[in-house]
Amino acid sequence: MQKPHSSKTRSTLVFLSPWLVLFGIFWLFPLIFSLVLSFLHFNPLRPDASHFVGLSNFVQAFKDPLFWKSLKNTLIFVLGTVPVTTFISFLLAVAINQRIPFRTLYRSGFFIPSVVSVVVISIIFKQLYSPLGLVSRVVELFGGEPQSWLGNPRTALLCIMAMDVWASFGYYTILFLAGLQAIPSEIYEAARIDGGGFWGTLRFVTIPMVRPITLFVVVINTIRSFQVFIEIFVMTRGGPLNSTLTSVFYLYDRAFYRFEMGYASAVAYLLFVVILCFSLLQMKYLRMGRAAGE
Amino acid sequence: MTRRTKTRTGARTRSGIGTRTRTRTLGLSLLLLLLLASTLFPLYWMVATSVRGEASVIKTAVDLWPRRPSLHNYLDVWESGPFARYFVNSIFVSAVVVLGNLLFASMVGYAIARRQFRGKRFVIVAIVSMLMVPRQITMIPLYLLISTFHMMNTYLALTLPFLVDAFNIFLISQYVISLPLELEEAARIDGASDMSIFFRIVLPLSRPALAVVAINTFLVNWNSFLYPLILTNTERMRTLPVGLALYSQGEHSVDWGHLTAGSTLCAVPIILVFLVFQRHIIEGITAGAVK
Repeated sequence: MQKPHSSKTRSTLVFLSPWLVLFGIFWLFPLIFSLVLSFLHFNPLRPDASHFVGLSNFVQAFKDPLFWKSLKNTLIFVLGTVPVTTFISFLLAVAINQRIPFRTLYRSGFFIPSVVSVVVISIIFKQLYSPLGLVSRVVELFGGEPQSWLGNPRTALLCIMAMDVWASFGYYTILFLAGLQAIPSEIYEAARIDGGGFWGTLRFVTIPMVRPITLFVVVINTIRSFQVFIEIFVMTRGGPLNSTLTSVFYLYDRAFYRFEMGYASAVAYLLFVVILCFSLLQMKYLRMGRAAGE
Repeated sequence: MTRRTKTRTGARTRSGIGTRTRTRTLGLSLLLLLLLASTLFPLYWMVATSVRGEASVIKTAVDLWPRRPSLHNYLDVWESGPFARYFVNSIFVSAVVVLGNLLFASMVGYAIARRQFRGKRFVIVAIVSMLMVPRQITMIPLYLLISTFHMMNTYLALTLPFLVDAFNIFLISQYVISLPLELEEAARIDGASDMSIFFRIVLPLSRPALAVVAINTFLVNWNSFLYPLILTNTERMRTLPVGLALYSQGEHSVDWGHLTAGSTLCAVPIILVFLVFQRHIIEGITAGAVK
């Protein structure tokens, strides 16, 4: 009786071991090591010169105007794109969910931009936003001045935000569609018999029913948007005048250009705390909304 | 008389509703088709720019339909060496990571679905933490680890840390839970070992879930950027997105013909994979959401 049990335990360990090893080396160790680093002065070019500095990396971040600038830009990016993307993808999902022809065409067509690398998307839009690019030409057509949209500190971040909405709404549309299709048709039938029109049904049936998926969409999009990096790396590198400097680009710049890896680890942990707070707030707020709706 | 009028009104109302529905469907379809066209336009623009001759890129930056299309931009970026190399690197790295996930993620997923063991709760919490914590936190230590062990610019560095993805573990374990237990028990009574039960019964039965894992892992890995960027610094070891991004930084920053050709090389394989396997891809994405 003892034998098969122990062999089963052994095989469980065999099944788990590849993950255990990789998790330990490439996840758990880095996670702890980066917390340690955040209390150190650490330059990989002179590792022997590293020493414990207490909380001063965090203090340095709070005192650095560029840290605040990058956080502010990131917040503008998140608060500007997430609601717009959510709104567009919800409406689009409702539209595609109607009884219309070509539904599968829409479902896959709108999704295509989200499988394409952000690097590629950034290059395409860099051209569109250039002084001789299409956006300038269209603006010219309406009597405006052509300009370098990414070279202007007042428009650069907005341009990248618009691109992000374009590149990502198809993904969230698919999620909303899945949520809409999970609503039992009897509920719609009942709403129709009760004489709820299209908008009434939308407001009193559809929106409350897709609240869990809305929560999911908002939370994962927020987490993703806080980490905006590739767009900045390819299109502006934080410029002009730091107008597109985001938190992760700031962090990357400190860690891999100035080699202030202790400081950068502290910034990474601060960013993590900000993201965590946002996610918890959203969960609380959107859950409360559901409770109030019931 | 009254009766006839009544019928007529009824008929008119009914056909009125029909027309209205039809008009609405038509309007909605037009709107959606227009929106779809404008969504796909930037990608069309990429391809259109890439097949234009160099002279016409400079002369007329806006040219909706390329006159005298040519493939010389593609030949240039392909023959210039790095892009062919980037392409091979991307294919190889993605393939290894996909295979690793198929094997290792399903092993863990199976253990979580079917086994009771001490520390199971810890394992689940650990996997969730991999989903929750932003990658930027482990970026610096991972870089230090890889460079300390002289693994910079190796395929090992580009694949090893990504062989077991947390999301894939969940997908597999969800699927295995839904499988009937009887087959495995029957095989065990017949004297099959744990390993042969896993490889001969569980894996073949999990094929639909494995397809989702393979395709989604490919999708994510093909476009992966941050880690390949920091774990490589030689041209030979760059993957396609990283190579493309760095190519766009230097002297080629406004060389749109070559840049869009490189971009198309990066985008087309993934769009093809999506179009062929879209059902699995969408399944994988919605699996995490609708629960």
